[in-house]
This record gives sequence, C-alpha cells and structure tokens, in this order.
Amino acid sequence: MSTGVAWWRLVAAREVSTRIRDKVFLISTGVLLALVLGGIVIGGLLGAGAPAYDVAVIDRAGAELVVGTEQQLRAQTGASGAAVTATEVVDEATARAAVDAERVDAALVPTGDGYALVGRDEVPPDLFAAASSALSLSVLRTNAEQTGTTVQRLTAGSMLIEDVTATDAVPADVVSGIGFVMALVFFMTSIAFGIAIAQSVVAEKENRIVEILAAALPLRALLWGKVAGNSLLALAQVLAVGVVAVVGVLIVGDLGTVPAVGVAGVWFVAFFAVGFLALASLWSVAGSLATRQQDLQATTVPGQVVLLVPYLVALSGNDRAIEIASFVPIASSMTMPVRLVAGDVAWWQPVVSLLLAAVAAALLIRLGARWYERTLLQTSRRTTYRELLRRPTGGVPRAAS
Amino acid sequence: MLSATAGAVRLDGQPVTVEQRRAFGYLPEERGLYPKMRVGEQLRYFARLHGVDRSAAAARTSALLERLELAPRVDDVLETLSLGNQQRAQIAAALVHDPTALILDEPFSGLDPLAVDVLAELLRERVEGGVPLLFSSHQLELVERLCDDLVILNHGRVVAAASVDELRRSGGDAYELHVQSGSDLDWVGAIPGVRMVALRRGTDGDQVAAFELGRADAE
Repeated sequence: MSTGVAWWRLVAAREVSTRIRDKVFLISTGVLLALVLGGIVIGGLLGAGAPAYDVAVIDRAGAELVVGTEQQLRAQTGASGAAVTATEVVDEATARAAVDAERVDAALVPTGDGYALVGRDEVPPDLFAAASSALSLSVLRTNAEQTGTTVQRLTAGSMLIEDVTATDAVPADVVSGIGFVMALVFFMTSIAFGIAIAQSVVAEKENRIVEILAAALPLRALLWGKVAGNSLLALAQVLAVGVVAVVGVLIVGDLGTVPAVGVAGVWFVAFFAVGFLALASLWSVAGSLATRQQDLQATTVPGQVVLLVPYLVALSGNDRAIEIASFVPIASSMTMPVRLVAGDVAWWQPVVSLLLAAVAAALLIRLGARWYERTLLQTSRRTTYRELLRRPTGGVPRAAS
Repeated sequence: MLSATAGAVRLDGQPVTVEQRRAFGYLPEERGLYPKMRVGEQLRYFARLHGVDRSAAAARTSALLERLELAPRVDDVLETLSLGNQQRAQIAAALVHDPTALILDEPFSGLDPLAVDVLAELLRERVEGGVPLLFSSHQLELVERLCDDLVILNHGRVVAAASVDELRRSGGDAYELHVQSGSDLDWVGAIPGVRMVALRRGTDGDQVAAFELGRADAE
C-alpha cells in the first residue's frame, strides 16, 4: 500500500515548513536581507563609488576652478554624486601643510604658469584629469572672450568621447566587488544551510525519532527529502538576496551595471544550486556521524574546509588559481561567477564547468546516501570519517533493506 | 530495523516484505517525536509517511486524539506537553496509520491508571479487528488481562513461552513461606510436588522461600 508514497516530498515539505516557522531562521534571514539592502542604499547615498575630494585653495580663482573641477569630474566619471569642495586657507605653506596632515585630499596652488595640484603621496588621477580639463576650459573661455569668439566655436569638432565595444563592460572595481560578494554569498549560505541539514539529521537521532522513521520509509528517501527541502530554502534565500540587491540598486539609481551583472547572476544561481546539492548529502552524513549536537563541531569540519579553501582562492585574486578552481566542482560555484562577472570567459567554459559539477553532485549524493544509511542508526556513539572509509560494509548497524 | 541474527518473521506463512513491514505500527523502546512540532501536525505527518492520504490522515488523527483524551492539545507543540501526554502522543503515532500489525515496546509505561485503561481498550479493539499485537511489559497483571500468548524473558533467555491459560495451569499455585528463625529453608524444595522458585532474605530479616505447588502433584 505504501509503495506509491512520495516520501521525499513529504520529508522536504516538513523540512521547509518547520524551517520557515523557526524564529532563528526568520530573524537571521531578515537581518541578512536588511544588511544587503542597507549596504547598497547607504553605500549609494554616501556616494560610495562616487569620488569626493576636498581641495585646499588660497584665492578666489582657485575656488572657482574647484567648482569647474567638480563639473568635469561628474562628466568624466559619470557619477552624479561626485563632489569636489574647496577649503580656503591663507597661503601656500598652510595649504601644503593641510595636505601633509591629510586634512584635505589635495591643494591647488598658483604657479607662474598656471596651477600645481599638490597631493600627499600622489594626486588622485581622476581629480587631476578633471582639474586639468577645468583649467583648460577656463583659460580657453577667457582667451576666447578676448579674441571675440566662444569656446564652442573654438572647440567645434574636437570632442573625443570614450566608448567601449563590449556592451556588458563593467568597471573593474565593480567587477571584483560583485564577484567577491557572490563567492561570499555562496560560502556563507552553504555553510549556514549545510550545518542546518546536519543539525536536522542529528536532531532526529537525538530525539530518537529516527527509529520510527526508519520503520516507516527508506532512509534514502529521508535523505533526499532533507536535501531537497534545504536546497530549496537555500536557493530561495539566495534569490531573495538577489532581488533585494537589485531593488537596492534601483533605489540608488545606478542602473548601468544591472544588465551586465544579471547574466552572471543567472549563472551564479545555476552554479549555486549544483554546488550546494553536491555538498548537501555530505552535510547529512556529518549529521548522521554525530550522536549529539556537540559532535557536529567535529563532523562538519571537512565540509567547512571544502568550502573555505576555494573561497580563499576566489578572494586571492590569483587569476591562474581562480581559472583552475573554476573547473573544480563545488569550488567552481565560488570562482566561475567571479570570472563571469569579469566577462573574459568563453561561452563553453561555464557550460563544461557546470556539467562537471552536476556529475560530481550526482556521485556525491549517491556516496552520501550510502554513508548516511550506514551511520544513521548508530545512536550510541560518534562514528568517525576514518571508520566510514575503512569499512565498506558491516561494522555499524545497518538498516535492513 | 536491524538484520535478524536468527529466525524469520512470517506473515500468513510468507516472509514479511518491506512493504508489509512498513505497514506495521511500531513503538520503540527509545521514545521520540519532533519536540518542536504540533501534536496534530506530527500525527498527520506520520500517517502520510505511511501512505495515508491527506483527508484520511486528518480524520484518523482527530479520532485517535479524541480517543486518547488528547484532543484539546492538538495544536500544542509536543515539548510543552506533560510526559504522560507525550507518551499518549507517541502511542497515537504508532496507531495513526491503522497498522496491519502492532509491535509496542512497553506501551503502558509512564501512563496513569486511567490512560492504561483507555489504551488497553483501544488495543483490544484493534486486536479484535484482526490486528496481531506484540508488546512487552513488566506489569504482569496487564499482561494477564490482555494477552493470549506470552513469552517470559529472563536476562535475554526465554524462560517460558505458552498461552496464558497453559502457563496458569502448569504454574499451579504460588506460595511464599516466611520463617523467622535463622534456619535454612532448602528442605522445602526437596518435598515432592514442590517447585522452588526463589530463596531469599525478607526485608525484616525473615527467611523466605517462594515455591509453587504443581496442581497435579498437590492433589
């Protein structure tokens, strides 16, 4: 009578419904989403990414040049929030001292033949370019007026604008930022939900409910249900983070980067799903090896290491290492999105990498299921990974088929 | 649960299949349910795991909780229940899918006398409906009241296995002889027709001999 039961779906539904009513889960998800939204909005409002400079000047002409510099900076960087403010000081020595003491970012001091832009260790290149344009423009305007013409007439046909052929080109700092955030999201979410899977498994052992479950359904179905339910939740959380991030960007109004990052985002979700699935059944094994929640500290170490190493590789910025890691299952979930955001990847690379990860996920789920079946009913003591590898059959109580 | 070390389990003369076994109702020695789940929700979940459809699972859950006088607690989280009530919920979990056979380890332990009566009545109904019941207990008067056949285990060994009537007949009458003197009571066992059960020292320093008189011999 019970052969047609979709056990795994019942188990998955229970995992999901239990979890979404768990206060700790709800609060931590809420905090995560609030942090993402807050980070983007506050960052955007404070003009993160939009440069802001404070420049010391010693005369009225200098102050006017600073106003022109701000306009140029906004035009050149495309950041409407860019700001250059003038701070008037009495003389050049004071201005230089202010730069040296880092009270201002630079000082604009007159020389015989124009101005010098003084920085402490260096002059910010974008500030220099903006100031240079502003100065040329202002001199041009004065000279044009003196010769009875206008700047527009003098500069007609001389406009050179910057353009790029790649339609999805994203500024380099944005690339590394988004790539690392994706790696971080995978790392954190995988560990959080992985440990949740392990906890859910060991809770069933601790509560002694596992005997009743084992009498009612195949252990394999129990495992698949847990993996499916928690993978679904993890994916839903990542999608929620993505939606909130896009909303945050829309609020700030910097839409330019959204479409380019969107493609990488879709790949990221695919890599997330496959990478998480590959590890999910092993997190269950971490739970079934333990007999008490405290044992998890030891049994989840391999899972954490497997995630931490590629995460560090993704952060390392070492292109060669990232490229290699982007074809290693699980590691690819953290490194391939980094490369995809950067946009220097042939189309077949993520496809091959994703297929490799899918194959690995299928194998690991099978292996995990076997280990899970062997260890789940061992409730008297913790089983070690060494025992798991050493004894392919027997040793620990085994469920009757 | 575990592979058998010896023997075989048969149902109607055939080895039990996995599907048949999953239709059994099982109350393990190690009690356990989901502590954070509501009672009703939990029972419906177990019913559905056993292949009962949604509406039938709901109907059986409420009927069973009504029977076990747990209906008012249907939406309470399990861990907020008293131990006695948790035990009732545990029994309900073993019965909720209308099992084809019942294997219950100490079903009466932890129950108050009223609940014992309710459960005994419930189990009797199931048995009369043709469901075989195998249970263990230390409460011998309950065993005598409910069972047809019984097996007595002492330190893992079978000491007796027969129907209640047979055991009662073969056992004859049991007596205890208390003697206040310090003398030995070994001789009691030597009397024909007397079967010594135990020799011990009583709480007040008495010598106690527990023995049975086989009916046939004693006449």
